Amino acid sequence: MKNWILAILVAVIFLACAPQKPLYTWGNYEVSSYSYLRDADAETLEKLIASYEEIIANQKGTRGEVPPGIYADYGFILIQNGNTEKGKEMLNLEIANYPESEVFIARILKMLEE
Amino acid sequence: MIKAILILIPLAFVLTNCVSTSSNIPKSEAYKGIYDEAPLSVLIMPPINNSNNVEAKEYFHSTLNIPIANSGYYVIPPFLSMEILKRESAFDSELFIDGSLSKFQEVFGADIAVFTIIHKWEKSGLASNVYVEVEYLIRSTKTDQLLYRRKTNATYDASVSTGMGGFLGAIADLTASAINTAATKHVDVARATNAFTFKDLPAGKYSPEFGTDRGEMADKEEITTTITKTKKKY
Repeated sequence: MKNWILAILVAVIFLACAPQKPLYTWGNYEVSSYSYLRDADAETLEKLIASYEEIIANQKGTRGEVPPGIYADYGFILIQNGNTEKGKEMLNLEIANYPESEVFIARILKMLEE
Repeated sequence: MIKAILILIPLAFVLTNCVSTSSNIPKSEAYKGIYDEAPLSVLIMPPINNSNNVEAKEYFHSTLNIPIANSGYYVIPPFLSMEILKRESAFDSELFIDGSLSKFQEVFGADIAVFTIIHKWEKSGLASNVYVEVEYLIRSTKTDQLLYRRKTNATYDASVSTGMGGFLGAIADLTASAINTAATKHVDVARATNAFTFKDLPAGKYSPEFGTDRGEMADKEEITTTITKTKKKY
């Protein structure tokens, strides 16, 4: 009986010390953002865009929300590569999901109008 | 009795493994300013690179947003903010590390700014090892006060593969990316070092633990550790 209690205690401590499920999942972003910074060519751009799409479409974190900055950075990359319309849409989604981003993102949207 | 001891030994081991990096100062005291200000928006400043690794600045920058966002903070978009900082000739954080940060609140809506100083980021001893020495400073854009200071000295041992991996191994396993070239090994160790350091950051507003972690013991301000490579999940 005592052994059972100890075994449960051990299990609880193992669980307490194990990494918890994260707030957000990031798909292949770690690798693709690094590769894009390193090479910035068509292939790494395509993979970075695929990562953003994956994070947005398939979010498995505990919050069930797209992580901070993802919509906006995706929008920025799209605008840099000529897709201004969809880029602006993404910047607006950042504001809609994270109102605290408005100070900065509204400034960027205004710069695009000029 | 013997059975109980047999269970208690691994229990003690796990406990030691779990608390060995802790100080005996609660987070509410160590990071009082963070609890007082309850910041939400975080601006990651361009890292200050004092290492011999010329590419360190941008690469290290790209490893900081995930652990801070996963701690429950709003991280100002890293690619976009980096671009604006470059355009505004604010790419050298040395200029701001001691100065007023009110401009960053005004332009980016930042509540706090995260400065990192890469002291070392290099191969060490054996060819398969990477050594990182990074200082982390978080300052308030409202009061310019230093709210958080940590220094982590980490050796990343890529030659050993452990089954269990321990606590740090598990973090490295979670955060390190899959490709294993010399350059990515540097990025892997940066990610593992950031994850290791920021697990001590008080939970932000988007975390279910926000406000509940005051009583936990803060980690020591300076930690030397070895991060062991574990089998990657593909």
